[in-house]
Amino acid sequence: MTTNPAVECRDVTIGYGSTMVVSGLDLEVQSGEMVALLGPSGSGKTTILSALAGFVPIRSGEILMGGRVVATGQRHEPPERRDVAVVFQSYALWPHLTVLETVAYPMRRRGVRPAEAHLQAASILERLGIGQLAGRRPAELSGGEQQRVGLGRALAREAGVYLFDEPTAHLDAELREQLQMVIAAQRRRSEAAAIYATHDTAEALGLADRVLLVRDGRVVQEGSPSAVYERPVDMWAARLTGPASRVAVQVQDLRDGHARIDVAGSSQVVAIGGVDGTPRGVVQAILRPDWVHVGGDLQAQVDGVAFRGTHTDYQLSTPAGSLALRVIGPPTIERGATIGCTLDRVWIPADRVDGEGTDGSAL
Amino acid sequence: MAEWARASLAARIALAVLVVALIGWPVARLIGVATETGLASVAATLTGSLAQSAIFNSLWTSALVALLAVIAGTSAALVTERSTVPGRRALRLGLLLPLLVPPFVSAYGWTRAYGQHGLLDQATGLSLPGVYGPLGIILVLTVASTPIVWLIVAGALATRVEPDLERAARASGAGSRETFRTVTLPLLRPALLSAAMIVFVFAVNAFGVPAVLGTPAGFATVTTRIYQDLALSADPAAFARATTMALGLVALALVVVSSSDLLLAGRPAVRTALPAGGRVDGRGGWITAMLLGGAIVVAAIVPLGALLLTALTRAAGLPPVPANWTLANFGDALESPFLTGLAHSILLATAAATLVLVLGTLAATAIRGRSRWLGAAIAISFAVPGSALAVAMLLAYGGWLRDSLAIILVAYLAKFWALGHRQLAGSIDRLPADQLRAARASGAGSLDALRSVAWPILWPSIAAGWLVVFVFALHELTMSSLLYGPGSATLAVVVLNVQQLGDPTVTAALAVLLTGIVVLAAAPLGFLRWRNEGRHRQQGDRELP
Repeated sequence: MTTNPAVECRDVTIGYGSTMVVSGLDLEVQSGEMVALLGPSGSGKTTILSALAGFVPIRSGEILMGGRVVATGQRHEPPERRDVAVVFQSYALWPHLTVLETVAYPMRRRGVRPAEAHLQAASILERLGIGQLAGRRPAELSGGEQQRVGLGRALAREAGVYLFDEPTAHLDAELREQLQMVIAAQRRRSEAAAIYATHDTAEALGLADRVLLVRDGRVVQEGSPSAVYERPVDMWAARLTGPASRVAVQVQDLRDGHARIDVAGSSQVVAIGGVDGTPRGVVQAILRPDWVHVGGDLQAQVDGVAFRGTHTDYQLSTPAGSLALRVIGPPTIERGATIGCTLDRVWIPADRVDGEGTDGSAL
Repeated sequence: MAEWARASLAARIALAVLVVALIGWPVARLIGVATETGLASVAATLTGSLAQSAIFNSLWTSALVALLAVIAGTSAALVTERSTVPGRRALRLGLLLPLLVPPFVSAYGWTRAYGQHGLLDQATGLSLPGVYGPLGIILVLTVASTPIVWLIVAGALATRVEPDLERAARASGAGSRETFRTVTLPLLRPALLSAAMIVFVFAVNAFGVPAVLGTPAGFATVTTRIYQDLALSADPAAFARATTMALGLVALALVVVSSSDLLLAGRPAVRTALPAGGRVDGRGGWITAMLLGGAIVVAAIVPLGALLLTALTRAAGLPPVPANWTLANFGDALESPFLTGLAHSILLATAAATLVLVLGTLAATAIRGRSRWLGAAIAISFAVPGSALAVAMLLAYGGWLRDSLAIILVAYLAKFWALGHRQLAGSIDRLPADQLRAARASGAGSLDALRSVAWPILWPSIAAGWLVVFVFALHELTMSSLLYGPGSATLAVVVLNVQQLGDPTVTAALAVLLTGIVVLAAAPLGFLRWRNEGRHRQQGDRELP
């Protein structure tokens, strides 16, 4: 017997008035899996979560949870009847309830007796390391504490699907990392599916089993974190998933995932992806800063140096385009210097069209 | 910064002098005169049968009005702000309509629509037997105060009850009713309490409605009793009763105001949300919309229509069909002292609105963040019933200003100061200090920064503040009716006097004219509100999930 996916969206369209916010969304999430929706603000991530939670109706298509249809263009099941729990960007803590009452709330709703609900709520708070806050109200909590309470409330729901709507967006870097670790730890204990909307690349790649890149209400690409990082479908996807640069190259002798490429007059042997046959003419290749190293005969001028603590980012310019380079440790090269460097790896995206050279003009 | 500190100090001194002159001294005189003959006689006056029944009548009708208006206004707010029923824009406009109709005009309209020989009676032979008496007073005051509750609750739904809070409850397994009970209602509770108190004070203060509907039925409230004792009686015992009851009203206002910062509570709704359950109302939505729309029609639109028909009909007994129509009543209306009254009211309203803005600016700059007592004093003057304030003004300044427009103006200033102050203080508080700092840091001088940054942001509130005071003053009745003399009758006083003489068709014509003038004066407010809403809607669009 095959088990149904925890969440399934089939050709889902969502809109307000005459504007379509999401169109043609297909999505499948298995139990135990965490999927990240990564996209800039306004791309429709929150709308997708709202439709899954049942806060907004869908226009067409259907949403299934555990094989059961919960929404179509005609039918709409309200949130309380869906097997979902939500962690909100705004925390959405009720100002009139204490922390303990807040976490006990979902249990009370499914008929757990007050004393038992409070006991269980207290144990959830302990698990999240905020047992001492039980008697406080939201106004007396910091942002990080508030979101832990929000997480506790979601856990108390014991749902099959957890929806995270940019839960760390309002937190500073350190709290954000702490909360991510808490979420990751809780997830390992659970068999539930989770969908996590965020615009933070590191968060999406670090937390999720699978990442969906969302742009203007459409899924542009989906894959494992390393796949979307190493094999972006286009420059937009590449920039969304990390620092990326683009240079014009000519590919020769493609064999077994390696090729000789000609870049700005220098000839380099690199690992290459994205092409089956040797593309003709000049194509645009995408490079990650960690795919370049110092030393070699590709001449580049150092335009910018930024020390980041653990590493240093250099902005290089070559006749074939500008190039980002990341080196562990403090800066060792000065701005204005000319250095030689080597490419280890390039990725040729599907939209390699350059305007000049796909029609095989000349080699 | 020294110049600023000096200016602020001067403003605060000027303000303190004005507070004493407009509120402190009159109230002190009221206390002095009312207790002149000792506390025992105060008690004796208050327990006299006329005073006692008036006080009792005021309290129980006002309590019922508060209860009914809170239920009606809250239900309306939930429909217009938390559902997807069709025609919400029209419903919102309809809910604001009673604010534009002077309550005593609305009371008169009810008698013409639902009373004996009214529209309904003529059409079907049915009439509402209790229009004259407590039932009519309660119904009309509930209609008049429902918009206040609606505004407060809609504002609270937008600011206190974030949609996410209700969504969180739904996503925790609570159904829509349970969400309302466990989340929405508790969060609305402070707003509901302050709305109830505002309406209660409003109902106790009301004079025009009980004057039109209660007096003919022999049903006296505190305000109509004060009016009769003061304006229609020369008996010293009646005078003592009036001052004592006025003092009682001041005390009541003090208790209510001090128990909450209620005058700052109401803000117009700026944001609406889909119901948390995400369900779009289908046929049920239509039914809800029809019910609410029908209530608005019955309570506010039919009485106005009845007034208009009466005004157009040749004589009171005739059926209001086109064959009996005439414009002669309007001619008669314009021949009455109407035009003099109109001139007086426009003069008074313009002066009051302009001076209130000056006072409001003074208060807002002086108070900002400090000396809360000043703000409290101003708020109390608004809560003090017009009847009591007028009695206090007579006692304080009646010696030299009796029967003049000046004493009416002083009373208007004391009463409406709070409106201007609240409007200005609200928008000044919302003007982020960083915006002025950014202007200064960009090279603008202090005046330049005010002109180029603060003014463009503040002018709509300033204009709205002016208009609100202008509209209120234009149809003010309670204080004017106690303070006017032979040469200083105001618009509303003229209409009330004609009504009490008992010519229904001319009264109706006057009431229609008065309403038309108020609506005309308030029209720019509608524009400002629409403009404001439009801006918020644009922002809202960008924020949509």
